Amino acid sequence: METMVTHRVKLTPECLEVDGQRVAEAVAGESFLMQLYRKYGMGYPKFFKMDVLCRVGFIASELLLAAEGGERFVPRADRAVILFNRNTSLHADRSFQATIADAEDFYPSPSVFVYTLPNIVTGEIAIRNKYHGESEFILLPEKSETAMNQAVERALMDKETTSVLAGWVEALSEEEYEAEMELVSS
Amino acid sequence: MELTEELKTKMIEVLNLEEMTPADIDENAPLFGDEGLGLDSIDVLELIVLLERNYGIKIADPKQGKEIFASVRTMADYVAANRTK
Repeated sequence: METMVTHRVKLTPECLEVDGQRVAEAVAGESFLMQLYRKYGMGYPKFFKMDVLCRVGFIASELLLAAEGGERFVPRADRAVILFNRNTSLHADRSFQATIADAEDFYPSPSVFVYTLPNIVTGEIAIRNKYHGESEFILLPEKSETAMNQAVERALMDKETTSVLAGWVEALSEEEYEAEMELVSS
Repeated sequence: MELTEELKTKMIEVLNLEEMTPADIDENAPLFGDEGLGLDSIDVLELIVLLERNYGIKIADPKQGKEIFASVRTMADYVAANRTK
């Protein structure tokens, strides 16, 4: 199948690249994710409630869609969201475990618990952008361009999907994460 | 610290309302819905945990929640009347 990547974003704790151009670098102070949220005026208070995996996916998707341009937040069913990683929501899992580890201080946190599934990232992106198409978060044993391309091409084979927001989104902590996200069209 | 101010501070912490200060929260404003803080159902659960953890209050009847969590003021009144620690 012929596919075309129209825009791409790469985000690490050190820098941000959009369409191959380095557009921002981390500076000392608050986390790079927070710096980007403020720098680009994303104005989405729910960001503060997200776990680190969700924040990485959210920031990457916002910058990718800003690169695409055009009107945002128009409901559409022809765009799928398909993300991948290897370590699922491990950081949130550990955070939640910490809330139930001490029998004397046993207060399971509902707001941490909701992030103990990686597909909440695809859900957050779909809700934010009013995408009603396919939404998947696929776990892979390792980062594999072949496996990711196959999943994207499979999504583009249905009658409705014409575009996929796809990519690798991994986050082990605020200091260790990576997102490589792109927009793919059929 | 006055109980309402204490609750506001704890709410900002547990609900991750990082762009807010206690002064931004009107103690009589609704906590839910477009007119208030815009909290959601997960936030309610977190507030229930907050009351239990900090004040020893267990809310046994979920129907009470609507009245207790109407505003910071109603929360403070409930805490003052029912706290065990």
